[in-house]
Amino acid sequence: MAQNPNYNEWVEMATKQMKGKSPDTLTWKSPEGIDVKCLYTAADIEGMDTVGSLPGMAPYTRGPMATMYAGRPWTIRQYAGFSTAKESNAFYRRNLAAGQKGLSVAFDLATHRGYDSDNPRVAGDIGKAGVAIDSIEDMKILFDGIPLDKMSVSMTMNGAVIPILGMWIAAAEESGVKQEQLNGTIQNDILKEYLTRNTYIYPPAPSMRIVSDIMAFASKNMPRYNTISISGYHIMEAGADSVLQTAFTLADGIEYVRAAIASGMDIDTFAPRLSFFFGIGMNFFMDIAMLRAARFLWHRSMQQFNPKNPKSSMLRTHCQTSGWSLTEQDPYNNIIRTTLEAMSATLGGTQSLHTNSYDEAVCLPTDFSARIARNTQIIIQEETHTCKVADPLGGSYYIEYLTNQIVEKAQEILDEIEEIGGMSKAIESGMPKMRIEESAARRQARIDQGSDVIVGVNKYRLENEKLDFDILEVPDSVRIEQIERIKEIKSTRNEAETQACLEAITKAAEGNGNLLEVAVAAAKARATVGEISDAMEKVFGRYVATTQCVSGAYSSEYSEANAESATVIEDFRKRTENFLEKTGRRPRILVTKMGQDGHDRGIKVVASSFADLGFDVDISPMFQTPDEAAKMAIENDVHIVGASSLAAGHKTLVPELIEKLKAQGAGEIGVVAGGVIPPSDYDFLYDNGCKAIFGPGTPITTSAGKVMDLLEAQYIK
Amino acid sequence: MYKDPSYFIQGVLDNNRLTLARTITLIESTLQTHQDIARNVISELLPHTGKAVRLGITGVPGAGKSTFIESFGNMLTGRGYRVAVLAIDPSSTRSGGSILGDKTRMEKLAINDMAFIRPSPSGGSLGGVARKTRETMLLCEAAGFDVIIVETVGVGQSETTVASMVDFFMVLQISGAGDELQGIKKGVLEVADAIVVNKADGDNVTRAKLAKKQYETALHLVTPSSPNWSPPVMTCSALEEIGLEEAWETIKQHKKIMSATGELDEKRKDQAMSWMWFLVKEGLENWFYNNEEIKKVLPTITAAVESGKKAPTRAADELVSVLGSDLLF
Ligand code: B12
Ligand SMILES: Nc1nc2c(ncn2[C@@H]2O[C@H](COP(=O)(O)OP(=O)(O)OP(=O)(O)O)[C@@H](O)[C@H]2O)c(=O)[nH]1
Ligand SMILES: [Mg+2]
Repeated sequence: MAQNPNYNEWVEMATKQMKGKSPDTLTWKSPEGIDVKCLYTAADIEGMDTVGSLPGMAPYTRGPMATMYAGRPWTIRQYAGFSTAKESNAFYRRNLAAGQKGLSVAFDLATHRGYDSDNPRVAGDIGKAGVAIDSIEDMKILFDGIPLDKMSVSMTMNGAVIPILGMWIAAAEESGVKQEQLNGTIQNDILKEYLTRNTYIYPPAPSMRIVSDIMAFASKNMPRYNTISISGYHIMEAGADSVLQTAFTLADGIEYVRAAIASGMDIDTFAPRLSFFFGIGMNFFMDIAMLRAARFLWHRSMQQFNPKNPKSSMLRTHCQTSGWSLTEQDPYNNIIRTTLEAMSATLGGTQSLHTNSYDEAVCLPTDFSARIARNTQIIIQEETHTCKVADPLGGSYYIEYLTNQIVEKAQEILDEIEEIGGMSKAIESGMPKMRIEESAARRQARIDQGSDVIVGVNKYRLENEKLDFDILEVPDSVRIEQIERIKEIKSTRNEAETQACLEAITKAAEGNGNLLEVAVAAAKARATVGEISDAMEKVFGRYVATTQCVSGAYSSEYSEANAESATVIEDFRKRTENFLEKTGRRPRILVTKMGQDGHDRGIKVVASSFADLGFDVDISPMFQTPDEAAKMAIENDVHIVGASSLAAGHKTLVPELIEKLKAQGAGEIGVVAGGVIPPSDYDFLYDNGCKAIFGPGTPITTSAGKVMDLLEAQYIK
Repeated sequence: MYKDPSYFIQGVLDNNRLTLARTITLIESTLQTHQDIARNVISELLPHTGKAVRLGITGVPGAGKSTFIESFGNMLTGRGYRVAVLAIDPSSTRSGGSILGDKTRMEKLAINDMAFIRPSPSGGSLGGVARKTRETMLLCEAAGFDVIIVETVGVGQSETTVASMVDFFMVLQISGAGDELQGIKKGVLEVADAIVVNKADGDNVTRAKLAKKQYETALHLVTPSSPNWSPPVMTCSALEEIGLEEAWETIKQHKKIMSATGELDEKRKDQAMSWMWFLVKEGLENWFYNNEEIKKVLPTITAAVESGKKAPTRAADELVSVLGSDLLF
């Protein structure tokens, strides 16, 4: 098709409106590196192989179902879990009564990492960021009164997937539901754990075997069950742009397919049960296009495995709106952001959706904030009439162009990964993680110097802010309750039987018995999550992540913005240089993550940018105890420790760190904290000796400035 | 900062972790006042040094040095040895700052009470590294550590600098696409006491063995630095803890031979001498840069050289003669 006959006239008009400048100067380069022009026409999408298909038909660009939401709207599936099984169960039931359709369980971090609640390493984590599950008894309470033969249940579990899935199956069986009746999804996507989510337990090779074991078990016994949810959401939330999210997610998917085939399975027995999970951010059109592009690419990528069943190359996905885009500042804005993202996800054709609550950057959702979040979806479904048409944006020049661009750019990365030898090898090489972290550091720099606008944070910021809503706080008593229950179970179970089941697990791990099968038996014999995990750890070992850190990305993105921004960096470097001249060394900070909190985006951004500003930055391994962090601070003799806490462990962990430092005579090493810390906890931390607190949305230049204030006051007399 | 040298001396001799850490900071300080105390501390501690095994490890980024030290160090502490690790991390030439992430790869050793790990920024000047590392090593010896491991990434001259202060210098290599030798500098081969091909695990074992052969051939072409020791090539897997035992045996064997032949004593004497000369050079340099006259004329002269208005030779003459006239006073 030729260019529109009036196009030249349009260019003239546009140039006139631009006071003589070409409309080309309006072209915006997106973070994905896609040039976005101010006008698209039919000529822009001419001849594209991504255009022109129909919904429900290969390559599924326009959606996996023929009628899409006109036939049945997406499933409203809210991710939730906190405190004890009993509390979470009550919360689920209230939500289901209010219009939620599917369940999605969030476990606490101790459970994720395969520790029982009585393990001293996880004292600050029990029930805080999800529901605590130690045994089948907890699992039964969690689903009490919920019909598991009817309700589709999604569980976000990856590390401790064998004990948890085993307990769920066993709990269902004990309540009279057969395995073949079970319906739902287990995340079981271990590769992205190494990349971004950080709740791995074992090294990659045995973990991949676990994934295959689960696929094999389910393809035999649970035909309605989705055995994996290949997740891009976490990759995006760690900092990836939409092209990176697409490429890394599909690359993970391809790796799982290869693993399953290598373990002897036929492609059509498991591929139709693969499901995906994407994150949807504030780049409205981009992420609509991303979902379309992902479906096209998955179909194309799957052809190499010669599937016979069309469903084997059909991408079905859950989506979640971006939590990262939500702010602690002016928090009701978050309702608007979430609405836009929900629109984007549904215009892109998601099969189910989670919408975040406005208190996202403060705490887990309360009943009230969860209601608003849920209603966001119900209103779109019931009031806007957007569900009447399948792929309503299909054929839009711009959307089709973006779709094609994402396909092309993601394919380049997919090819690069193939070159390295597949995603496992790529992850080993550190390439994907570094790309994500670089993208995160650049993003932070653009926000800090104002070129990416976030209303209420770097534009139209309120002068006096006070949170005026209730905050959900999980009491420490949950831990005591859990420990009590573990004691009771251990004292009433048939110990010999439990031990035999645990030995069977170790044996299966050594050989090639199906791990899920033996775990179901162990769950019934009242073995705990920790015991089952340990039984495998004996053979597999525990994985330790290698931490790499980008350097120079923050300062270069910041400096390139404009001359004024460049001065900010230069001035700061003079300040650290001055500190060196006056005191004999650079300001040295240890940044640490304590407890099982695996959110490392913030700490990586802080480490990388502080180094760019002239700090010497020590990074601790993940999952430290306060004692270990104190030892490291002392040995490295840092001036100050910065603890990053996002999973609600701050009130336990930060004061303990300060105590440990003091006890070893290193009281002069100051402690500051950052992350998701509700403002109402600030005074508690200050009273316990914390010198400064940097909440979400704090520009690096501000937190680094404050740290320098503290150090200059202490060391430059 | 504490002013009394005896605070540091006593603390180090008592192997107090906190004081040892602070003494290293003192040594690393760029302030003259700190340096004065540091000199004092070092000379007091010198008689308590010399007993440890000093081990240097180099290799390209990602070769697995830290992982090797994690496994190797834990093996040694398991046998009752106390292990100190000094890791040198490059500082950014742009910002001056650095990222010290070594302990993330030494997770168990980092919390091991028998071990002490201190990452240090290279601080831009390699000369600085040389002095600081050498003196820090002495501190750790005085504190009673049995094995001291220095990790340095193979950039610039840092390997040869480290090689010149340890008893045993190990080069960690990985097998790659086949042209491994591209990745190794001849100068490094000359100072290596052993080459260890790491990551010999999984589907990498054959490649590692092949690389081992290549290094063996390459080593034949280099004159060994000692008449009593021809550097062996070994394979290991730091991750799967294979070949660590052999590495330790080799180091012990080396020490035995070197001690018996008197070479170790010779080596340490040489090292003491080169240390002295190093300090002399450093002293001269400091003196140069801190000279008031030099500070005054340096910017104009360097600018003149940069813009091509003055020949470098001429400029150097002028600068030195500034010192000369200063000496006349
Ligand atoms: C991104 C994110 C994720 C990503 C993490 C990716 C990664 N590798 O980091 C993913 C999707 C994987 C994830 C997973 C989970 N998450 Co999450 N996540 C978030 C989210 C949306 C943003 C955090 C973030 O990275 N922000 C960007 C960075 C740059 O900001 P930051 O870390 O706050 O750091 C800034 C400041 O705080 C400060 N700062 C922070 N630390 C330090 C340290 C120093 C020294 C200094 C100077 C400054 C400083 O400076 C930074 C720059 O401004 C928050 C909600 C929110 N909006 O904050 C939830 C949130 C933290 N997550 C939450 C939960 C529960 C989870 C899960 C545990 C859910 C579950 N049960 O499975 C999992 C498990 C993760 C794990 N292993 O721990 C909860 C925690 C609840 C609570 N505290 O009570 C939150 C608050 C969301 C919510 N309201 O429910 N999450
Ligand atoms: N397969 C395998 N991987 C290893 C082995 N040793 C280290 N690695 C991996 O190689 C990567 C780099 O290891 P490090 O120990 O950080 O390497 P390094 O030489 O200290 O790196 P720098 O300090 O950055 O120069 C990590 O991902 C390790 O897990 C090994 O023996 N086998
Ligand atoms: Mg290292």
